[in-house]
Amino acid sequence: MAFRSWNYLRSRAGLSSAQSESDPMRAFIDGQLTDDMLMNIQTLANLFDYPDNDSLKIRHIHIRALQVDAAVLYVEGAADGQAVERTIIRPCLENDQQLDAHQPAERINIIKQQLLPSLAVKESETYQELNDALLHGNTVLIIPQSSRAIIIETPGFEYRTVEMPQVEQVLRGPKEAFIESTDVNRSLIRKHIKDHNLRCEKITFGKRKQNTALMLYMRNIADDQTIQRVKKRIEQVESDAVTNLFLLEQSIEERPYSLLPSILLTERPDRAAAFLQEGHVVVLMDNSPVALIAPITFWALFHAAEDQYQRWVVANFMRLIRLFAMLVTMLIPGVYVAITTFHVEMLPTDLMLAISAARERVPFPIVVEIIFMELTFEMIRESGVRVPAPIGTTIGIVGALVLGQAAVDANLVSPILVIIVAITGLASYIIPDITLNFAIRVQRFMFILFGYMFGFFGLALYMSFVIAYLVSYKSFGVPFMSPLAPRLPASRDMFTRSAFRQQWLRPSNLSPKEKFKQHKPEGN
Amino acid sequence: MIRRLWLTVAMGMMSLALAGCADRVEVERLAHVVVLGLDYEEGNFINVTFQIANPQVGSTDRGQAEKEPPTDIVSIKSTDVVTARELANTIIPRQLDFSHLQTLIISESMARSPVFHKTVSSLVRIPEIRREMSMIICREEAATFIKKNKPRMETRPHKYYEYMLDQWAIRAVVPDSNLNGYLKNLAGELYLVIYATTERLEDEIFENEALYRAGEVPAEETDPVQMMGSAVLKEGRMIGTMNGQETRYAMLLRHEEKVHSVISSFPDPLKETERVTVRLLKTESAKLKIDVSEEVPRIEAKVKLYGQLLSTEGMENYVTNLDHQELLEQTIEDVMTRETMDFIRRTQEEFRSEPFNWHNQVRKKFWTWNDYIRYDFIGKYPRAEVKVVYEVEIENFGKQFEPVTVNDKHAE
Repeated sequence: MAFRSWNYLRSRAGLSSAQSESDPMRAFIDGQLTDDMLMNIQTLANLFDYPDNDSLKIRHIHIRALQVDAAVLYVEGAADGQAVERTIIRPCLENDQQLDAHQPAERINIIKQQLLPSLAVKESETYQELNDALLHGNTVLIIPQSSRAIIIETPGFEYRTVEMPQVEQVLRGPKEAFIESTDVNRSLIRKHIKDHNLRCEKITFGKRKQNTALMLYMRNIADDQTIQRVKKRIEQVESDAVTNLFLLEQSIEERPYSLLPSILLTERPDRAAAFLQEGHVVVLMDNSPVALIAPITFWALFHAAEDQYQRWVVANFMRLIRLFAMLVTMLIPGVYVAITTFHVEMLPTDLMLAISAARERVPFPIVVEIIFMELTFEMIRESGVRVPAPIGTTIGIVGALVLGQAAVDANLVSPILVIIVAITGLASYIIPDITLNFAIRVQRFMFILFGYMFGFFGLALYMSFVIAYLVSYKSFGVPFMSPLAPRLPASRDMFTRSAFRQQWLRPSNLSPKEKFKQHKPEGN
Repeated sequence: MIRRLWLTVAMGMMSLALAGCADRVEVERLAHVVVLGLDYEEGNFINVTFQIANPQVGSTDRGQAEKEPPTDIVSIKSTDVVTARELANTIIPRQLDFSHLQTLIISESMARSPVFHKTVSSLVRIPEIRREMSMIICREEAATFIKKNKPRMETRPHKYYEYMLDQWAIRAVVPDSNLNGYLKNLAGELYLVIYATTERLEDEIFENEALYRAGEVPAEETDPVQMMGSAVLKEGRMIGTMNGQETRYAMLLRHEEKVHSVISSFPDPLKETERVTVRLLKTESAKLKIDVSEEVPRIEAKVKLYGQLLSTEGMENYVTNLDHQELLEQTIEDVMTRETMDFIRRTQEEFRSEPFNWHNQVRKKFWTWNDYIRYDFIGKYPRAEVKVVYEVEIENFGKQFEPVTVNDKHAE
């Protein structure tokens, strides 16, 4: 783009302050640096509305070694002030060896090579890049007569230290979790995969291309088509408001109205690393204490982090319990309604009499009773999440005492129903992934409805629908229930898993480039 | 998207309206009949007795109604069970439901009457009726039987029959009879049904404990009901009774039936006045050799029994003395063979059919159904040559090695 005159710039700036909504700074940003240092500084200052806006800091210094004046620009709060002082200002001010350079390009080289002790230093000649650099916490050094500026990395965003996972807890296994910084998160993954094939691509998206995400994948494993699909989907995101992975997840999924997620968010670096090694793509973003995994299958949601860390027997036992719990959560209330309204003959006579005796004094039909209790349970759960921690203990007391015992005493519900709801609630928390957990809890109400309408016939009908949906659902082109349906070659790691050393085959539903993790083991 | 969603929801609603939830009933609105009694009345009528469980007694602490009786018994005279049920609902406020009906009690007079078969066989047309429901024939009127059957340790009536079922399955002094079995055995063979009564008959006391029939077991001050022996049904009608021992032999000679525990006493071969009690287990199928090549069928049944010596009144040493053991086994085999042959003769002469389900084995000898029908095994059975071989092997002698005798210094 052609250079625009200073007056023109000023007038645009004046105009733009009046209509701040319509991206007034576009014209500045698209320009290139000139060899007039003051003008370069002024343009950037305008971009940041300096000095009214107390964010951009401009420090004029004298570089002793070159005998020139220069300006250091950084954004307060984004850049680390001490780092700016230590790695830029002090070397420039204090280095008193005499270096001879007259050409701007020469000066830049000397500054980069001899003066600045910083790790990451680069040059740029567009305002766009300088703007982005400043916003990402970097420092810009502008010297006279040069149409290039130096960018020094001095990010100083605040973030917490690496902590234990809050959601995906394990008894055995690594206990680090992702935090809100991409750099830290990437390093946590690197720690697990020390392989030069781990490729890390930066993707910028959004209307102004201000949002960046890091896409990680194993170059030698992940399928190119899948990588392209994920990348394209991210690049297509237009909104600038997508500032973390939770929003990005919703922006790139195929079926936003589906109960089932097609993307997994994990807060465990070890899980992210494991997914990478199976050929999945991992996306990291700032402000997100999670990694985004795509594509996923049902198994990614069904498996817990600990499944591979526990020994074979324990892991499989846990998985079977989990499968059982999943079915219990989904079906038990529906089955109870179906049996007590349509199939009384299925109950043992004693149980039938007990249910019947307790029900005799309850004024509502079974379906009202059960929906009332299930909704109450959901309310307890939701309020438990929202309630401030210091008052959290009251929820437990209210939930357990008031609703359980008192509702029964008041003949609002029958005692057996309290058991049903309690078991259902307990079982629902065994499902490790929160989105799958939610999907199943919602399905429960559909099963209650169908059980009440048609009995077991209704349950079977709805179950067929659920299964049909599961097997036709896809995540980034990968069938959701694969490699079970369609059945594809893979190490058996689905409802149960094979012994760890038997898992030598990568799941071929992801079309990995390298099909084997190791040689096929001999013997057992 | 939204339109499609609404369309789907609307279509779902419509299908619900069409389907209609017709037979939905809340469990507490049903009166659960747990025992059904059938009596013969003059002139093509039957008297149907419903024993209805009261859920509020003896099932749960909550919702307990202490002053109510555990069951309600209603007897209705009608032509069939379904109309009787309709009539009963003019008295009982809750809808009578047969889905937990697991016991069918039929009076002997009913079982001997011509209405028996048509009443019982039309029961299976009712959707809730379970074919595995136990069938019991009682000496007296079924209504009386149901009213009198108040077991002291069971509050709920179905529990009594449920526990009794365990005893039937292993003791073999009564057959394990149910509706399905009856419906399957209508082609001339004998079907044995549990025989029970609340009456007490003064009769002789037997040394051999299995010779009693229901009502004859010498017991005092107990629950009113006795179940022992079997009622013999042939072609949908009762034709006689068998005592416990005969029932037991019928079970032993059945090819497939496993008898888990027959406790029986035999004369002590070493001391004539005393008896030895042995538990016999039939863990293998009876081996049958059936020859139908000639006019008269020849049947050879071999039954392997494993025994446990439970008590020896004669204080003889059977544990370490192998000769004595062999003698005992021989005696048991002889006694059983003799008694079985008497029993078989009785079936041939009195009932003129067999209760051993042998016809099922005979059927396998023929290529076609017509061949089997033409051969008419049941018709030829009264003339059949039957040979029974018991092989008794006593392999367990209890905890005591030698009999503990008085004045024996070495005894422990």
